[in-house]
Amino acid sequence: MASVVLSEAEKLYIVHGVQEDLRVDGRGCEDYRCAEVETDVVSNTSGSARVKLGETDILVGIKAEMGTPKLEKPDEGYLEFFVDCSSNSPELEGRGGEELGTDIANTLYRVFSCENSVDLKSLCINPKEHCWALYVDVLLLECGGNIFDAISIAVKAALFNTRIPKVRVLEDEEGTKEIELSDDPYDCIRLNVDEVPCIVTLSKIGYRHVVDATLQEEACSLASLLISVTSKGAITSMKKVGKGSLDPESIFEMMETGQRVGKSLHIALQKILDEEETLGTSRPKVGFLG
Amino acid sequence: MPLDHRRLCGPEESQPPALWAAIAAEDEEDEECVGAAPRDPCALRPLFARAGLLSQAQGSAYVELGSGTKVLCAAWGPREAAEPGPGRLLCEFRRAPFAGHERGPAAPRPNGRREPAVRLGRLPAARLAVSALLLQDGGSALAAAISAAALALADAGVEMYDLAVGCALCRPPRPPPHGCCSRPSQSAAPPPAHLALLPALNQVSAVLGGGRGGPPEDWAQALRLGLDGCHRQYPVLRQSLLRATQRRDAQAEPA
Repeated sequence: MASVVLSEAEKLYIVHGVQEDLRVDGRGCEDYRCAEVETDVVSNTSGSARVKLGETDILVGIKAEMGTPKLEKPDEGYLEFFVDCSSNSPELEGRGGEELGTDIANTLYRVFSCENSVDLKSLCINPKEHCWALYVDVLLLECGGNIFDAISIAVKAALFNTRIPKVRVLEDEEGTKEIELSDDPYDCIRLNVDEVPCIVTLSKIGYRHVVDATLQEEACSLASLLISVTSKGAITSMKKVGKGSLDPESIFEMMETGQRVGKSLHIALQKILDEEETLGTSRPKVGFLG
Repeated sequence: MPLDHRRLCGPEESQPPALWAAIAAEDEEDEECVGAAPRDPCALRPLFARAGLLSQAQGSAYVELGSGTKVLCAAWGPREAAEPGPGRLLCEFRRAPFAGHERGPAAPRPNGRREPAVRLGRLPAARLAVSALLLQDGGSALAAAISAAALALADAGVEMYDLAVGCALCRPPRPPPHGCCSRPSQSAAPPPAHLALLPALNQVSAVLGGGRGGPPEDWAQALRLGLDGCHRQYPVLRQSLLRATQRRDAQAEPA
């Protein structure tokens, strides 16, 4: 991960600020940075989204391809996650970013392992033979702290934007099956993203914890807790990252904060997504020039 | 004589038979559970731990939970690192191919879960390696591996803040309460939560949880149960370490 070097005095300044509930950029401990969300940015994908959270810049593209269902779940489709973070800093170039990439992908698998996060049954075309496989490709364009939250927001927005063409299975007298793609390009399945969780990262700084830490704040924090929260406030997964350890009591506090912050994050995100949806084709596309 | 690979014409892909007979197997298992007296959700499985049993490694430990989970762990180091910088702890967790019910590829899961416990500041430019091998998976393998790795590091004489203890929690199909390292993993998904605690300092060094969602209160309740489980395992691990040291002393005296 891209890292910054801070002197002890700078660290102390940040820690003291956090204790007074005032962070270096003027936010409180439970405030997110200003986020920009735009969906449908790459036309070759089934769904895509770009999220800019402060300096962090994430692009997610989802491609729906036809595959065979997993043996253990013959009547469900599946999601695959790939994370590429080679482009954003020299130390992650080449194979350097691979470890971080697999780490993020594993976290996403864990977050989406919850049964009802995405209705996988709707991705099934015919049991045991064909299903839709959604390949979720995450591209880290710029790393400015708190990548997990930004990625999860982008994945949710991209899933909301995903349109999977409708197909029908035709069977003739001999039992041979044929798959027919609908002629109408607007005839497609949409995914229900109500239950898709978002990750909230809480970084422990001093005696308090903050959400959406910047790179500088991440350098001051020894341990953080990733919590994935659904829009209804249920916690679906949890993971501690970082070198330090946490007091049990502070974990309980962090869970409470995570739930509260996660719920409001979902409301804000859903509002933006719905707004974009109502504008339809009249929406001015900003893309990468904005 | 070289083997003729062309004549071994087995199928390219193979599947465990259990998948196809899943429904029947579940029934049997339920009966077994009834026969074996259901375990109290808060009860831990009997833990067996032994330190210092591999002669080749600097430190080693073996941890067995109930009769299901067996983990062997070895620690090497400190060695001089090639590149200067702070000390590093390399952890490796491997499964034996026959560990689970399905023959799986040995998926290495490198993780640095015990890092908070080790005083890496005391070992500049050094490298510690810990390798845990799961011999048999009977549920809560990661928790057993955490305990085993902490024992192995302690056995190797590495300076640590405390002995990390792992505990796994899982939720039965019916909603609460949660149980500590209960069910064998045969039927269910991996346990939804793992916890590692440094008992003497009362600091949580690792939390990893997943599965079905729940409100924070449920999670807090589960974590409390896990913390309690860790505290109860701690004396057993300490005793095994003490015994290993005594054994080593006894061996050293005649010479």
